[in-house]
Amino acid sequence: MSDRSSRLTQSRLSRRQMLGGIAGGVAAGGLLPGILQAKSAPALIQSGGKLTFWGGLIFSDEANKMLTDTVNAWGKANGVQTDVVMINQNETNQKVSAAVESGTMPDALDMGLDLLLLLSASKQLTPVDDLYDKIGAAQGGWHESVDASLAPAKFGGSRNGIPFGAGGNVLFGRKDILDEAGITAMPKTWQELSDDAAKAQKPGVFGMGFALSNVGDGNLQVSVLQSYGGRIADDAGKKCMIKSAQTKTYMEWVKAAWDKKLFPPGATTWDGAGDNTAYLSGQAIFIANTGSVTIKAQEDDPDLAKSTIYSALPAGPVMQVSPIGPNVRAIPKSTKDVARAKALIEHLTQPDFLKEYYKVAIYGPVLKDQDDFEAFNTPVLGGLRDLVLHDTPPGAPDVYNTAYADFSANFVVPKMIQRMVVDGLSIDDAIDEAQKQGDAIYAKYA
Amino acid sequence: MESIESRTTLPATFERGWSRARRKPKLRKLGSLVGVYVIMLIVAAIVIFPIYWMFTISLKLPREIYRLPSLVPQAPTLDNYRELIEKKHFLVNIRNSLIVASSVTVVSLLVSSFAAYSIVRFRYRFRGLIGRVILLTYLTPSSLLFIPLSIIVARLHLGNSLFGLIVLYLTFSIPLSTWLLSGYFRSVPPDLEEQAMVDGTSQLGALFRILLPLSLPGLAAVGIFTFTGAWNELLFALIFITSEDKRTVPIGLQYLITGDVLLWGPIMAGAVLAALPVMVLYFLAQRFMVQGVTAGSVKG
Repeated sequence: MSDRSSRLTQSRLSRRQMLGGIAGGVAAGGLLPGILQAKSAPALIQSGGKLTFWGGLIFSDEANKMLTDTVNAWGKANGVQTDVVMINQNETNQKVSAAVESGTMPDALDMGLDLLLLLSASKQLTPVDDLYDKIGAAQGGWHESVDASLAPAKFGGSRNGIPFGAGGNVLFGRKDILDEAGITAMPKTWQELSDDAAKAQKPGVFGMGFALSNVGDGNLQVSVLQSYGGRIADDAGKKCMIKSAQTKTYMEWVKAAWDKKLFPPGATTWDGAGDNTAYLSGQAIFIANTGSVTIKAQEDDPDLAKSTIYSALPAGPVMQVSPIGPNVRAIPKSTKDVARAKALIEHLTQPDFLKEYYKVAIYGPVLKDQDDFEAFNTPVLGGLRDLVLHDTPPGAPDVYNTAYADFSANFVVPKMIQRMVVDGLSIDDAIDEAQKQGDAIYAKYA
Repeated sequence: MESIESRTTLPATFERGWSRARRKPKLRKLGSLVGVYVIMLIVAAIVIFPIYWMFTISLKLPREIYRLPSLVPQAPTLDNYRELIEKKHFLVNIRNSLIVASSVTVVSLLVSSFAAYSIVRFRYRFRGLIGRVILLTYLTPSSLLFIPLSIIVARLHLGNSLFGLIVLYLTFSIPLSTWLLSGYFRSVPPDLEEQAMVDGTSQLGALFRILLPLSLPGLAAVGIFTFTGAWNELLFALIFITSEDKRTVPIGLQYLITGDVLLWGPIMAGAVLAALPVMVLYFLAQRFMVQGVTAGSVKG
């Protein structure tokens, strides 16, 4: 049997399912680490040959350069010819889809959790449990939320990626505008947030700069829905359960905020940069963002950066949901010299490198020894560290599985909102429709 | 006397009426002319404004783009162009695109001219079917093809190369060009070639000396269409090109969007630079586009 056909027979998910999932636009998640002086890899590897690494391009030229230089320096020190290709995270899915089919996957690559899930389900990745345990033991252990995100049970029984940075959303607020309205603290609940937004809002400035469109940012609404007690699926993660009284309460909150014009009118059609643009143009009071807005504001609009305050995402009436999204490095099954790829990945977890890298990237820590890094003393990166320390694993309280990833990729919750606020469907009808869509998605994986 | 007055008055009235009647069409003509110009101005403004906006954004710094939206840059700067050229190496992207688009255009025109000539002038079995099927290959959505094509590209070792991209684009451009040129060649009367052949020219000579020169507008249109298509293509370039130094213009622009951040200034500067070659091409070729070379070529 050829490699190709054996790959297919091994697949738990069919190729069509996997490609469909990938092409569906599951957020690939950004990633990467940086430069530093080249050290020999901790593991012993054979010199010679070539290693191709697809790093995730992020919005920090410094971080991207640091990662590229570090990989190349490692290659030089170990006699390995390295080919570092920085892949824009927006295009990772398409690139990987084509590479899997054509057998041109790199030796190691960065990806988000959704892609890891899909590639694991189709047995495209090499298990790295040994490396995962080794790195964890050497650096104080993995953070519980990170560890739970990569629980082997979700990934076919093994660890298929090494986390290198945690992403998540932090609440941004315009302190100058809130001060004018006499609001002195960031909201603790979503209801408080919409009340504050209504109080502080003024012509041309919208209170709630949250996407309600079919992009990754739109899925923030899944977390808000969950914080209201709504659920995407049952505890087993097998059956869609979006239709509930709690979901209805959440939808009433959204409707009330929409009717008060707290959301910018274009929020239902924003692209992935909609919230960034709204905030940077001074048209939004609150947004939820991973930190890219801070870097941009610090570079281009220091006044805006100074008048921005941060907090964790608010809680709902039932709980606070603020999931982290670990970014990982993985080794495809097609990699010939796995030891060498592992050596590179291990090298990129060295504290000397990450101490500098985290300063210019936008990730929270994944290992406990990283908590004290100087980088995490800043408000945003500190906020990301707090997320990792206190918040919820991806999908929680729902089960994060392929059905959940597919549900997210289809933007069912943002679409449910759009049907209500744009198409004028009643709350019940919009929920019914979402339930049907959810049923169809979960049925595929039952 | 009365009758005389009447007679003298009548012509005066008639004169006024006549001159009013003569003025009316003039006024009407002027009014409709003004109307046409107003409509044309509005249409022109609608077409030109996005280009103007693109250009004006390219001259602004980020804060001005986001915080102080205005029709005219308040502090015009070339920083975006500088960043694009010096830091993002955009001229390399333009060079690559020029290589790819020019090669695709030249090869495509050459091959499709022969193919179209064969379909239009020769008689053989399934000629009509081939003529129709050839277009179907173009009509398959590229998003459906990128997976199978990626396998073919990998097996032929054409990945991550401009040559590979050229070959790939030709598979799309040749069928379309052939179909378009077939239509154009059909409109040229075969009598001219036949007369030339009677005078001793070969079939190939008739193609090069008679048909192709007479089809210049069609060739220009197809050439521009092919060039623009190859110049703007994103999906395949994105999938099959990985090295930074082999990126084409659309990938270069795409890489100015990182995650959820759009670098509007450099993106717009890139759009201006990317639009220039195509605009120049259209400007140079518009004469051929609008010219009816074959008009009146056959008399009697």
